[in-house]
Amino acid sequence: MSNSVSVSVEVPLENLVQEITYDGMELLQQPLTMSESLAKLAQRIDFCGKDEEGGAGSSSAAAGSTNENGDVKEEDTVNGEGGPDSNFKTSQSWPWESVRNKIRSALTELSVLGDILTIAQKKQYMVLDPVQAEPSDTKPPAVLMYKKKALGAASQVLLGGCERLRASMNEAKSRPSLATLDFHIELLRLRQNWRLRKVGNAILGDLSYRTAGSRFPQGGIFEVTKAEDDTEEGMADALSTSSQSQPPPPKPCSALRVTVPNELQGIAYIHVHVQKDQDTLSFANIGLPAPAPLDAHWQQRLEAAQNVLFCKELFSVLAREAVALHSMPIPPLVVGNQITATLFPGILLIIGLCHSITGKTQSPPAVSSKLDHNHVLEHSLHQLLREVHRTNSHIPLPHPATAPIGISRKRRLGGPCAYDRQTLLNMTKKEGILEEIIKQSQHVILRLRAMYFLDTLAKEIKDPLLVAHWASINAVTHSCVRITLVSSGYDMCARTQLVIHIKEKSLKAILKDGKAINLSYEPQELKDLLLCQIAIHQIMALQSLSKCLGWTVLSSCSHLGVGNCESTGNAAGCMLTSPNGKRILAVRSSPQAFMSAASIQVFIGYPPNAKYTTQQNNNNPIPMEVDDTSAATLGFEGMDLAAGVRYKSVRLDKLEGKNFLNKMEMLMAVLADVS
Amino acid sequence: MAQAAQHQRPLPQGKEALLKAYNKRLKDSVKSMVDNFSEIMKLARVENEGQVFRATQADEDNFEMTVRAANMVRAGEALMKLVADIKQYLILNDFPSVNDAILQNSHLFKQKQLECDRKLMTLRDDMAADLYDLEEEYYSSTFK
Repeated sequence: MSNSVSVSVEVPLENLVQEITYDGMELLQQPLTMSESLAKLAQRIDFCGKDEEGGAGSSSAAAGSTNENGDVKEEDTVNGEGGPDSNFKTSQSWPWESVRNKIRSALTELSVLGDILTIAQKKQYMVLDPVQAEPSDTKPPAVLMYKKKALGAASQVLLGGCERLRASMNEAKSRPSLATLDFHIELLRLRQNWRLRKVGNAILGDLSYRTAGSRFPQGGIFEVTKAEDDTEEGMADALSTSSQSQPPPPKPCSALRVTVPNELQGIAYIHVHVQKDQDTLSFANIGLPAPAPLDAHWQQRLEAAQNVLFCKELFSVLAREAVALHSMPIPPLVVGNQITATLFPGILLIIGLCHSITGKTQSPPAVSSKLDHNHVLEHSLHQLLREVHRTNSHIPLPHPATAPIGISRKRRLGGPCAYDRQTLLNMTKKEGILEEIIKQSQHVILRLRAMYFLDTLAKEIKDPLLVAHWASINAVTHSCVRITLVSSGYDMCARTQLVIHIKEKSLKAILKDGKAINLSYEPQELKDLLLCQIAIHQIMALQSLSKCLGWTVLSSCSHLGVGNCESTGNAAGCMLTSPNGKRILAVRSSPQAFMSAASIQVFIGYPPNAKYTTQQNNNNPIPMEVDDTSAATLGFEGMDLAAGVRYKSVRLDKLEGKNFLNKMEMLMAVLADVS
Repeated sequence: MAQAAQHQRPLPQGKEALLKAYNKRLKDSVKSMVDNFSEIMKLARVENEGQVFRATQADEDNFEMTVRAANMVRAGEALMKLVADIKQYLILNDFPSVNDAILQNSHLFKQKQLECDRKLMTLRDDMAADLYDLEEEYYSSTFK
């Protein structure tokens, strides 16, 4: 409070300087007189606000107009008296001019009003009527009605919309069991199984194998749409025709609709024939023959379309390789949707692509020959293409960060190790699908042939039993069979085993003694080998039997170089002598004409002092038909031990016994007693 | 933690714009419903003064209310459409769940494969043993 200082403001007592003369004298302005200051203030009065009020008051009090005019005049005179300095110079002509103008206009208006009132009073030219009240005040119920009606219409619209929303909400909830009808649940399931993306307003999917490593140019784009558009139309139709009590259209089982491009519709499969002189040896169908109609579930339709795409890719790869394949003596032929390759002379491999858009198969012969349907080639083709996909998409690791992607480790080392062109070219050579499938088919053919041949041989040859055991684990181009030759009743002592490896174009037999023999694909070679083995088996079995009976093996040879020349292979033979040395048995087993009785020849050798003719008359328990045969013709004359020995041939078919060994056992038993 | 990390990762330009557009559609629809409703309420008030003829005014009010009600319904349906769009967007772009599904499927198929392999191996062993005996019997029999 001590800081507050009271400041007094006063008008300065000095007057304003009007002029300064040359001698420095200041001429001061004279202060305004009372009348001058009044006139100055009067100019500032605003009569407008009061003028209106004055006008309103004058109109309300219309009767005393003349008196008021008198008052105004008096006022005017008063004002005139109040301004003696009326000629004071201002911007206007004189200070009270505005006052006078206002008063004059008021006078004019009042005069007019007075005239009107005068005329109205006479009621000759003008009549004054009371003003009617506003019509709005009279009709509020009608406005209310209008408003009510408008609100009712608006509420109808709202209720209709609400009903529609509720119906669409309830549609999903009311049928919880049929959850598949919900579009979004279906879409979620579709998304979990297929690749989808949104392009603009459409949802597009991809069923190609491109992400799995395929490089097939044809795309597999399909479109997903909502199937409810049609159902709504159908429902609308049903509603419109419900009065005619027509059954509603059958609803689709899915809320999704999948649109697959035309070229992928229908079904496709690849059929594989192996043909030999119009006889189908092996048959395989690739692809599902189950048709996928247009109204099938989307999963089935997409799988069918993907299968079509896969078959097309497979066939295009095969056709491309077939055209580029020059390593085969007869290059494969590509005609239309069919590839023909020669497996063996006279045996063709035919791979064809069948694609029917209508979804109806032209009843392939697979239906009739379903039983000999061979899934091996089908599976192999599938596997081969998948393998190609895999190698495309999987880069072998580890991979240096600076090396280009996609080349193998061996090729990366090509630079540092300075490989020459030939090595690099050899590295790029890759076996294609077609070559691989041809190899597999060749192997299948070869195996089938070998099976067939072994079975027929086992059927034909009864004496040593031929037992074939096929290995249960095979490679695609390599299988293995173990063959056991065994004489019935002498299983333990007479057994010959050999293994045959069946490859793509050749066979490899491994004999009992470890010899490996390579055979070509001709079945005759296998037959010759097996017949030789049977011949040797008989001799070997006889030797082991003779040891059991106490006979002595004088000589044995699996490949006799003497005697009749065999057409295939060599005969096997052995010489045995009885325990007391009185008799000699010479046996010659020839692979030729093995099925006949002449394949094995048995001779009994008599020492020079023995009298074989008497033996015939001695009524031996085992009758023998002994022919006179010169040993020289049989090839035994060269042997030292046989010097001077006379040989007689034995007719084996006359001997008792189930098989050769049995007969020989009987014979040896009889001859052992001879003294 | 994983979800937090995903939220922190900046979204691509287009997706962010799309999400903003969804947000805007939601707000626009709700705002449209509220505005139209309040306008209808305002129209329901009986007013004394009017420049135009009463019947004309009443028809105009009627029409305006109907249109505004229809606007509200449209906004509601737009909200439904928005829900459907968001669902679709989520389904199509929810890669973690797709990955989960793929992982689950691959587990399932691997398990099936193992199971099939095991069964096939058992079957093969059994068949091989039986086949050996059968071959032995067949080739030794007289019925071949």
